Amino acid sequence: MTTTEEKSVSELHGQVAMVFDLNKCMGCQTCSIACKVLWTGEQGEEHQWWMTTNTQPGLGTPKGWEDMGGGIKNGVLQPGHQPTRAEFGGGWDFNYNEVFYGGKGREVHLQPTDKGDGTTRWGMNWDEDQGAGEYPNSYYFYLPRLCNHCTNPVCVSACPSGAMYKRSEDGAVLRDEEICQGARFCMEACPYKKIYFNYARDVAQHCILCFPRLEVGVAPACARQCPGRLVFVGLKDDKNSPIYKLVNEWKVALPLHPEFGTEPNIYYIPPLSPYRLNEDMSIDEETPRIPPEYLESLFGEGVHGALDTLKSELANVRSGGTSELLETLIVYKWLDLFGPFTTDPSSLDRSPDSQAVTLGPTRR
Amino acid sequence: MDTTSQYRKRWSWDRVTWGTHCLNCLATCSYRVYSREGKVAFEEQGGTIGEIESGVPDFNPLGCQKGSAWSLQLDGEDRVTKPLRRVGERGSGKWEEITWDEALVEIADSIIDAIDEDGPESVVFEESVEGGLMAQSPFLRLASLIGAVTLDAQGLVNDLPIGQHITFGKFSCASTVDDSFHSEVLLLWHANPAYTSIPYFHYISEARYRGAKVVSIAPDYNASCVNADMYVPVKPGSDAALALSICQVLLQEGKEDQDFVKSQTDLPLLVRSDNLRFLRERDLVKGGSEEHFYFWDKTAGVIEVPRSTLDLGEIDPELHGPFKVTLADNSEIEVITVLDLIEKRLLDYTPDLASAICGVSPETIKELALIIAGNKTKIIEGFNAPKYFHGDLMERSMCLLLALTGNWGKPGTGIQGLALAGLDGYLLFSMKTKQGVEETARLLDGIDASMEQLRQRDPEATDEMLGNQLLTLSTSAGTSAPPVFFNYNHVGYKESWNNAAWQEPTMTKSFSSYMEDALRRGWWGGVARPSAGMAPRVFFTVGTNPMRRARGGKRAILETLWPKLEKIVAVDIRMSSTALYADIVLPAAMQYERVNVQYPITHTLHLAFSDKAVEPKGEARTEWEIFSALANKISERSVERDIVEFTDGRRQSRRLDTVGDSYTIGGAFPNDESVIDEWIRDSSDAGTLPPGTSVETLRSKGTIRFTGLGVFAPGLSVATDVKKDKVLTAFQWHVDKKLPFPTLTKRAQFYIDHPWFMDADEALPRHKDNPKMGGDYPFVLTSGHSRWTVHAVSMGNSAVLSTHRGQPLVVMGAKDALELNIGEGTKVKVFNDHGSFVAMVKVAPRVRPNQLIIYNGFEPHMFEGWNGSNEVEPGMVKWLHLVGKYGHLRYLPFGWQPVPSDRSVSVGIMPVPDSQGIEESS
Repeated sequence: MTTTEEKSVSELHGQVAMVFDLNKCMGCQTCSIACKVLWTGEQGEEHQWWMTTNTQPGLGTPKGWEDMGGGIKNGVLQPGHQPTRAEFGGGWDFNYNEVFYGGKGREVHLQPTDKGDGTTRWGMNWDEDQGAGEYPNSYYFYLPRLCNHCTNPVCVSACPSGAMYKRSEDGAVLRDEEICQGARFCMEACPYKKIYFNYARDVAQHCILCFPRLEVGVAPACARQCPGRLVFVGLKDDKNSPIYKLVNEWKVALPLHPEFGTEPNIYYIPPLSPYRLNEDMSIDEETPRIPPEYLESLFGEGVHGALDTLKSELANVRSGGTSELLETLIVYKWLDLFGPFTTDPSSLDRSPDSQAVTLGPTRR
Repeated sequence: MDTTSQYRKRWSWDRVTWGTHCLNCLATCSYRVYSREGKVAFEEQGGTIGEIESGVPDFNPLGCQKGSAWSLQLDGEDRVTKPLRRVGERGSGKWEEITWDEALVEIADSIIDAIDEDGPESVVFEESVEGGLMAQSPFLRLASLIGAVTLDAQGLVNDLPIGQHITFGKFSCASTVDDSFHSEVLLLWHANPAYTSIPYFHYISEARYRGAKVVSIAPDYNASCVNADMYVPVKPGSDAALALSICQVLLQEGKEDQDFVKSQTDLPLLVRSDNLRFLRERDLVKGGSEEHFYFWDKTAGVIEVPRSTLDLGEIDPELHGPFKVTLADNSEIEVITVLDLIEKRLLDYTPDLASAICGVSPETIKELALIIAGNKTKIIEGFNAPKYFHGDLMERSMCLLLALTGNWGKPGTGIQGLALAGLDGYLLFSMKTKQGVEETARLLDGIDASMEQLRQRDPEATDEMLGNQLLTLSTSAGTSAPPVFFNYNHVGYKESWNNAAWQEPTMTKSFSSYMEDALRRGWWGGVARPSAGMAPRVFFTVGTNPMRRARGGKRAILETLWPKLEKIVAVDIRMSSTALYADIVLPAAMQYERVNVQYPITHTLHLAFSDKAVEPKGEARTEWEIFSALANKISERSVERDIVEFTDGRRQSRRLDTVGDSYTIGGAFPNDESVIDEWIRDSSDAGTLPPGTSVETLRSKGTIRFTGLGVFAPGLSVATDVKKDKVLTAFQWHVDKKLPFPTLTKRAQFYIDHPWFMDADEALPRHKDNPKMGGDYPFVLTSGHSRWTVHAVSMGNSAVLSTHRGQPLVVMGAKDALELNIGEGTKVKVFNDHGSFVAMVKVAPRVRPNQLIIYNGFEPHMFEGWNGSNEVEPGMVKWLHLVGKYGHLRYLPFGWQPVPSDRSVSVGIMPVPDSQGIEESS
């Protein structure tokens, strides 16, 4: 058994970063579910999805988040909208009892119960697989999102009660829920709208980067459970890690909405797409299916170079060459995705009253 | 406790067990189940499935969102936890809780009444592929002991790649999923693996990064097109035209693999020009065989096709005729080759002509031919094609494309659907009369002896063919019956199937005439059960859900079948639509509450184990517990009621008072674990699992890799050896060892000279338009499995429900919606002459004009009036699939038989008045 002492948090020091390879993402939501089942199963958390995957282009979750403001520009926090419960939607109750045992037969059918608050009209993946374009040149792709654990976390700056902080061990942006007053300024400030409000406990909550797992050398649940094998985890400044190479050397991994100014630590390899078709259904190899300006609006100007690199490396292997970049992206060994976080959780002693569980490092 | 400690505590556990989710996705994912204080807290993939072949990515982590949320279903609101008895009308939602004993007495008495008054074939079970082997084995065992009928699962669910069967004499032809990594071209065709093969999808992306071209051929720009290199939009149901056109280009350009075609296929076989039947031995020699065929050898002229090998030795068959041969009566006739006929047929499918049918541009067709020729090409196919009425023609055309380009039997090639591996111990178990290895040895010796006997009768047969023969023999004593006859005689499908407007226009007579003809000719002798005169009285579903699944919807079931039934028993983990209409609902234990093993398949080449982590919820029991208790109760009541002897449908005398004892073999198998342990040990003895494997091995490792595919038919039909360090590639016996195919001609057979096929002009693959099933309406409703649920199992999972809209959805194209003034998120009615349903519409530009999509899995009781999407599916079957006794076209359990179609039924769509829009979302 691996003892927790072997990989204690004190050994960690640096920013944990992640790279999502969108060319492998099939939108299956296993990441979202992994997170949901592990972290947000308690009362007040029904509608919370710290990890979500949405179809782009689309309104995503919360509905229309990209236009809700927040972030920082020239050192000034930007005003932002506080997403409403209805804009998140979800967390539905269903009328199981009425349908199964109510004695009403076919007069009633199973459906989300409408409480009149609009929450049955949106959800974490409501506009799944809608996308844009015009058939047969429709286009869409999947964008998994979690808290960016930003280097410049505006949520922390905006918090009036001092509940929020960024840990030095792993760079996780966390909140002391005992201090949190439920003011929700963090929700307004966060330009990615990845902070939820717990109406049962009157505190905000968001992705904790699976810090209890990182502390003992285990990759975050969204990454470790991803069946598409597309999530790289590691320390941002480790020059030997795939993350460093993908971000800094090959420059194929890019932050989402860099113009929001918060310096995210989650990166994305932008999506290629199949050829477009001409009016007569013949293939148009010249015009990209996904408009480049749309991708630029998400990932910034670097997206063009990133896509060019991917395309030329693909052309290279298809004509018999080799590509270190693509070999890296193939990921022959699953554990190679996870940098220093390769511990198998089932090997750990995590009984509820064990030391590792109850005695954590103090905050800050 | 401070916040960080609280979160640390959430990620804690006091027990870890292995788990898998024995669903009909058949995926063999291996999870670790983390429990805390007697409750499952969460699960996470084990991540212990290493690569088979060095240089090929490993299988980890496997899994999907449904599996990762399974624990939430243990306490799900759709869970059934106590035996329930209906107290109102069927479907009224009025129930009373009863004890297990009350339930068992009532069911046992119904069974005894039915057996005593009408015979045991009035007791009918739906075969199940849901719930893993430990859900299926128990009720099959009881059915077998009382001589009941079990409806062949394949004829219920239709996962039968029937065109592959027509071509190869089998459908179980899949390699391991990692074989895709060796492909140079991957054709996602009739498949949406981003929805349906989530655990394995990574091999497609990895193959692409390795340089493979990924081409997705589909009517709509589905989730699997997103990460493809090329999207080929095809009109629904026109795939045969596309495949044949690519074949036409390949032959025109001389790009066919001649050696492969000569060795593997019937393309060089001689066909008489006068009657277009194969040239057979009986044409040349008086009293000659019906099943010996001929080539034209370049030097020797007419020469018999070797039947025991595909190795041609000195023979070099001509691919093109014509030639003259002298018949037994000394007359001279002209013969040509199958390839001559194919080339003639392909003139109808030049790129220009095919383009008019399938909508793919002629340039793209030519480009596809270029991409495929000379490259290791694999078709990744789901079970979509066979669900088209003419899916057989599509698959036969797709197989022809693989044949012409030499694309099977080599790494990275072939057609990837599903292959059953053999867990021999499971199959042996039903024959056992004693526990233990001595009995196993006796049975294995017996099988060897039977195989030897069959071999003496047919010395040229391969093990695979003998295995099929053995399986055919066993059906005459077994319980399995193709449901087509049940549906025709007892469920009210006769009317739909005889509706000429919905049927294939090239039929020359009514469906009933074909049916009668087939039965009269004895093509289905012994398996057309229960007979027309034997009304069913007791009906069991164990995890199956005909109300949701049955093409034909609930109307036929409720109006025709249900009134005949005295007792409908649903055994399930959850309140399914079928359970809602049952008389008695029995609560079954779920995975994590019991031990189980997933179906053995070749996808990952391992057996996945699921351990008991917690006690079953409420009064739920395992199927083994339920059916052994029922067997005991039947014996007990038979004695009390003095009805101990009966005669079964095969005129054998049987006893009811010994059923309970026989069930557990005198108590030798008291529980689930004892049964699984026996299967595992016997499989180990038979060589499909490593020596010394037991249930304890699985308990410690979670999975175990197969060392062989077994001595029974399903495993043998993969026709390949399991090698320790190589991916599993199907059909290597045919290509490397030159073993013949189990078809009439002993070769991959593209020409079927059966009179019915010839009358239908389907002797060769061709395109036929989809019949107007349901009437003449402007839209076609395609379907397919959703991302969110395996059938309806995850439809009650609170987390998974939240990842879609939690309610039924029809997806339609943006242009169509605009034209019909249908707004995103509004309510629509989808209708045809068969039925209708109401659902929310999702408008998406990815959908093809005139196409509507509703994914499988929504329970009818999630729709208004419980009218599910199957209400618009007439459930047509293709008359040609009633053919029997033609070489390989004969009934095999889980194989050749008529299967219901549901893809591209004709429908109309209209807004439902007064419905509120849910705002534009894009």
